[in-house]
Amino acid sequence: MVNPPDVNNTLKNCLNEILKPAQISDQPELIDKYSHDYSFQDKGSPSLVVFPGTKEEVQAIVRIAAETKTPLVPVSSGPPRFHGGTVPEKGGVIVDFSRMNKIRKINTPDRYAWIEPGVTFGELIPELKKQGLKLVAPLLPRANKSVVASRLEREPVIIPKYQYDFIDPLMTLEVVYGTGEEFRTGSASGPGTLETLKADKVNPWGPGSVDYFRFISGAQGTMGLVTWAITKVEVLPALQKLYFIPHKDLTVLTDIMNQLLRRRVVDECLALNNVDLAAMLASSWPDDFKKLKKDLSPWTLILCLAGYKRRPEERIAIMEKYLNEICADFKVKPVNTLPGGAGKEKEILELLSGPCPGETYWKLRYKGACHDIFFLSTLSRAAEFAAVMQKAAAKYRYPREDIGGYIQPMVQGRGCHSEFNLFCDETNQAELDEVKKLFADASEALLKNGAFFTRPYGTWADMVYSRYPEQVEALKKLKGIFDPHNILNPGKLCF
Amino acid sequence: MSIPANIYKMLEDIVGPEYISDKEYVLAAYRHAGPGGRGQQAGPGAIVLPGSTEEVQAIVKLCNKHNVKYAAIVSLFSVGRIGQPGMVFLNLQRMNRILEINETDRYAVIEPGVRHVQLKPELMKRGLNYPTASVGPGASVLANFITSGDHHMQHGASRVNRYLMATEWVMPNGEILKVGSLGNNAGWFCPDGPGPSLRGLIKGWNGWSGGFGIVTKIAIGLDVWKGPAVMPGEGHSPSYTVRMPPDKHKVYIFKFPTAEKLRDAMLEMGKAEIGNAVLKYFYATECSLTTTSANEFFEVWNSGLYQRELPLALWVYLATASPEEMQYEERVMWDIVKEMDGQPVDESIRKKYDDNIDHMFIIVSFLQRVLRLGGGWAGVKLGGDSVSHMFQVAGAIPEFLNEFIDKKMIIDAPNNWQIIPMEYGHLAHIEMLCFYDVTQPDHPNVMMPLMQRSAETDIKHGFHASTPMASNPAIGPLYSNFNLWVDKIKKAFEPVKEL
Amino acid sequence: MESLKDFLYTMNSCNQCGQCKWVLGPKMRGWKYAEVCPIHLRYGFDAYSGQGLINIAQEILEGRLRYEDGLIQLIYTCLTCGACDVNCKSIRDMEVLDTILALRAKCVEDGQGLTEHMQIARKIEKTHNIYGNPHDKRFNWLPEGKKLSDTSSVAYFAGCAAAYTHPEIAVNTLKILDAAGITYKVLGAEEYCCGAMLWRTGQTEAFKKAAEQNLAVLKKQGIKTLITSCAECYGTFRGGYPRFVDMDVEVLYISEVVTDAIKTGKIKFKKKQNLKVTYHDPCMLGRLSEKYVPWNGKIEAYGVHVPPKPWRRGTNGVYEAPREIIKAIPGVTLVEMVRNAENSFCCGAGGGVPAVLPEFAQWVAAERLDEAGSTGAAALVSACPFCQDSFTNALAANRNKMRYYDLTELVVKAL
Repeated sequence: MVNPPDVNNTLKNCLNEILKPAQISDQPELIDKYSHDYSFQDKGSPSLVVFPGTKEEVQAIVRIAAETKTPLVPVSSGPPRFHGGTVPEKGGVIVDFSRMNKIRKINTPDRYAWIEPGVTFGELIPELKKQGLKLVAPLLPRANKSVVASRLEREPVIIPKYQYDFIDPLMTLEVVYGTGEEFRTGSASGPGTLETLKADKVNPWGPGSVDYFRFISGAQGTMGLVTWAITKVEVLPALQKLYFIPHKDLTVLTDIMNQLLRRRVVDECLALNNVDLAAMLASSWPDDFKKLKKDLSPWTLILCLAGYKRRPEERIAIMEKYLNEICADFKVKPVNTLPGGAGKEKEILELLSGPCPGETYWKLRYKGACHDIFFLSTLSRAAEFAAVMQKAAAKYRYPREDIGGYIQPMVQGRGCHSEFNLFCDETNQAELDEVKKLFADASEALLKNGAFFTRPYGTWADMVYSRYPEQVEALKKLKGIFDPHNILNPGKLCF
Repeated sequence: MSIPANIYKMLEDIVGPEYISDKEYVLAAYRHAGPGGRGQQAGPGAIVLPGSTEEVQAIVKLCNKHNVKYAAIVSLFSVGRIGQPGMVFLNLQRMNRILEINETDRYAVIEPGVRHVQLKPELMKRGLNYPTASVGPGASVLANFITSGDHHMQHGASRVNRYLMATEWVMPNGEILKVGSLGNNAGWFCPDGPGPSLRGLIKGWNGWSGGFGIVTKIAIGLDVWKGPAVMPGEGHSPSYTVRMPPDKHKVYIFKFPTAEKLRDAMLEMGKAEIGNAVLKYFYATECSLTTTSANEFFEVWNSGLYQRELPLALWVYLATASPEEMQYEERVMWDIVKEMDGQPVDESIRKKYDDNIDHMFIIVSFLQRVLRLGGGWAGVKLGGDSVSHMFQVAGAIPEFLNEFIDKKMIIDAPNNWQIIPMEYGHLAHIEMLCFYDVTQPDHPNVMMPLMQRSAETDIKHGFHASTPMASNPAIGPLYSNFNLWVDKIKKAFEPVKEL
Repeated sequence: MESLKDFLYTMNSCNQCGQCKWVLGPKMRGWKYAEVCPIHLRYGFDAYSGQGLINIAQEILEGRLRYEDGLIQLIYTCLTCGACDVNCKSIRDMEVLDTILALRAKCVEDGQGLTEHMQIARKIEKTHNIYGNPHDKRFNWLPEGKKLSDTSSVAYFAGCAAAYTHPEIAVNTLKILDAAGITYKVLGAEEYCCGAMLWRTGQTEAFKKAAEQNLAVLKKQGIKTLITSCAECYGTFRGGYPRFVDMDVEVLYISEVVTDAIKTGKIKFKKKQNLKVTYHDPCMLGRLSEKYVPWNGKIEAYGVHVPPKPWRRGTNGVYEAPREIIKAIPGVTLVEMVRNAENSFCCGAGGGVPAVLPEFAQWVAAERLDEAGSTGAAALVSACPFCQDSFTNALAANRNKMRYYDLTELVVKAL
């Protein structure tokens, strides 16, 4: 659905009435940046980009769009984008939230940050640090990645002990629905206006018998446009100690993670294969990458122990004892030096603490492009799915040794995000075609084996939703309520 | 009013003659609202005991088709209030299987009839535990998970909302929806997705109290149980003991000079990530839980000990995996307590927990003791936000409470409120309990007016101290017009009426 | 005895928490055997429970529920085992079982008692035993030539079951008393039925007469201490009689005599038994055996009982004595069932139920035997002839190989 020029003009005129000229653009070069990303998503054709600065402006944009049946595609993070979630399927207007980027509040006693969608990891992490706080973040987020978008999309974070469910650490949010009406979730709902409400707005549930924030999560902007959100933050550890456990058998590492997390021994806790770890750590290309890839263990478990304000050494000593006891059960020994990458430890600690440094995002360093296959399962099944992935890769002659692998336990170890990165050369069409086939085939195989594609971007949407008509029917009922005109990122998911 | 004979026959065909009744004497058990809501209520027209999801589904479809109101029940607390003439109650107690306990991935799958007193010990045997709402041992675990959820141990865990995983739900139209990973052939571990989370329909802060389809199976997340494999309960009614290994389980109670210091101690313990449970508890309720009769309660209460020691007290339950960790947590705890000018309360109060940790923790064995004092039990607030905000709310309690105390309508216990942090102090729950006597003629003027005055105070100050339970157009606009959205949701999922 | 209206406070207090159906937290052991109320477990509807019967009692009292056959049957399905009562009273100041008993009394008063129970009452009136057997054969069990004291103030009260259907219990009891060196007598022709069945089925007037008759005999014969080996008799003397008569006679159960004798060294077990057993606490010996102390006070504001009420919460039932005895027998291992002591699951024989619902009574016994079997015990030991009947019938019906021993039999075997 691409708007004809006259509709575009009407729309632009309407938007001009409510936005300043600098907030609207139909510059082809700019628009082109929003029309594609690194995913296999077909190129889209947005006609305008708007940059709202306030909730009222977002509401006005939505109302105009509803009247004119114009698709709105929300974008809050800067490029490179990878999953196709913001590539317009049916044209329309890009709503870029990057200028709604106020950190409204950082609360130290109760540990939360109140932020607008344009606030990025690169901005928030240092601000929190100044106040002795820490943002629990996904692995190496882009510095220009929106924190709100990450939370909304239920991206896994690297400290699973702080996650009590899959939507944690998102607390509350303000949303403009597809009708133009605003809504605040949980304890942000009221009583009264935002100005009169004294609550810290950190109770995520409700109001009443519905968890409204869950409908917005994982929705890729199809259920509403979020104008601010509140996320938990944690205290900055007074002391950290890093450990590595290399192993060729992923099962051993997932079992260890399971034991560590059930006893809440570790803070940061993740496993990376040699490809991903090398891609993150390589200081020079391709030599350092190649060497690391060769020297690193097939899988490395990265763990961090932490001590807080009071008696940090004592805490670390106890947790270290537990760590050693658990590892002894598996006949492995955690070490403080990265096996196969000695000297990179400090760098790893830094990488775990902030956004991805450098100009090129780490996933693009190896071959220039990257396609991620990720899904959820229980931790106990992660190795099984890694084997399915390997088998699929073999079929397409994709070098098994080039597949990136990342296992991120979630929710205190009761769940697990598995991710396989297919690095490829975008300029090599033949390679791209093969990777595309592999991507589809491996995804299908994983799904059939019980992998839970909980964030079904791009082609995954059809793959997932075609199998579960009852869920689709229920989701469409919700969509009919919150976006009755289907103007919010139409074409995504099952909408 | 019983249900029409043809409907009865069709229900009987679904569940079998042994599991249905419309006899007045059988229905008598469902029309008594209990203390605080005395008197006979209308009650339902029939009771059925379905044995499977398929039977539940068939009943819901039948009721929809013939326009018969229905409600699912298991435990009966407050059931007397919901019955209506001609209504069908589905008591799900026969659906009482523990379908799976996954020790590795830490979840259990249960049906509605499974009680805390059944699930808890099965998990303890396996070194596992779950957040157990303070509802009494015989309550349905599933009902707690989908309707309420605050509990005394949520400082080191969370409200049960976070532990509700995939669900099987018979929707209001009678179709079955498998929510979360279950609906995608991926097991029970995840409630959310794919895409927007339908888990949002199952429960918000509260549940639907049976008013929105029927949840027939749930998975719940499990934590580690640090106690013995068998509940160490000894002795005889009513003086049981439950003693835990003291080198790994200890309860402390500290008093603080101000609410601010108490709050800060609570927050600092959260930041230090110590304590399985940390809470500011109701002092009169505690007295009720730890005494065995109303007379004994007043003997203790009238001594003034609790009023002296516990108005601003913090309960700290340390449970660790090793004695060394216990010593570490104790040292950190004392650092914080001293920093905040806290002091241990009278040892006679604390000592009870050496013998009965279950008074407050593990399962709250004797919860219903709170109803012994004249039967009236008005719970107000029952909401949540940050720890700091909850203390702000507590600070304004005298504004509405004093008039009830001054008029002697409730027991004089102005500090009978609790604040329980969750997730190491990231958020908290507040609740105030007022005891009143249902045998007194003025008792109808206690509960509702108290709740109303409490709500008015919160609204006046902009406090989020409660969450609106139902779609109420009078207060909906104060809470982001949530009533409009919940009405739309209900309508969208209601069965299509046949013409 | 209190009438139904005396229990309005209980009726108004119930908040339907379900504790009358489930074990309490400290006693939780697993998914199985967590439910304490036999009728709720079997029939499922909540009317079949302490809570349900309280609700029914209130509606009958207030004239809102009319008598009908099914209702009467429901009321008499209850085994009056009192599991609901002690569990409720752990947490509430309520009288669940007494309300149920008062409800039955009202049924009888209103002419709604069951024919089967009235027939038993007639037998008791006529022959002084529940079976209608000739009274002159009541002491047929007494070994010929057995010498008894004429003057002792201690008497053994055999009861109907031991006298007529389980003479071995009576005989073994005498052997135990002899071994313990106790001088005792029996009441002879003046021993009449204790009236337990009358009390539990609501036949209050008849029960009162039985109590008065037996107490008069005890006084006449100068009895200060009465020893029984029947849990029904024991519980009735201690829990039932004081409601109507001034029961100033000490009542002892045979197990209490044995434990005293073990302590003083008068009884020593010499014969090894090589047996793994589990012990079933009879309701009337365990949770319902505490002495009833009349209370005629007022319930004031906030539930304060003035004067303080002496609660019977099952705290001081005869739990330890039988266990101490079993443990003292060489070669015998005692393993506990989940529902033990005051949480013991009824055998199915209580409340006059076998007379009207024999199949249900058997079902209850089978449920209890399943629990007994789950302990891995080879034998079930108890201390009540009515429990014995219930269990042995169910064992036979289910071809269950578990053996049953009355405690007296086990003791005598080991002497």
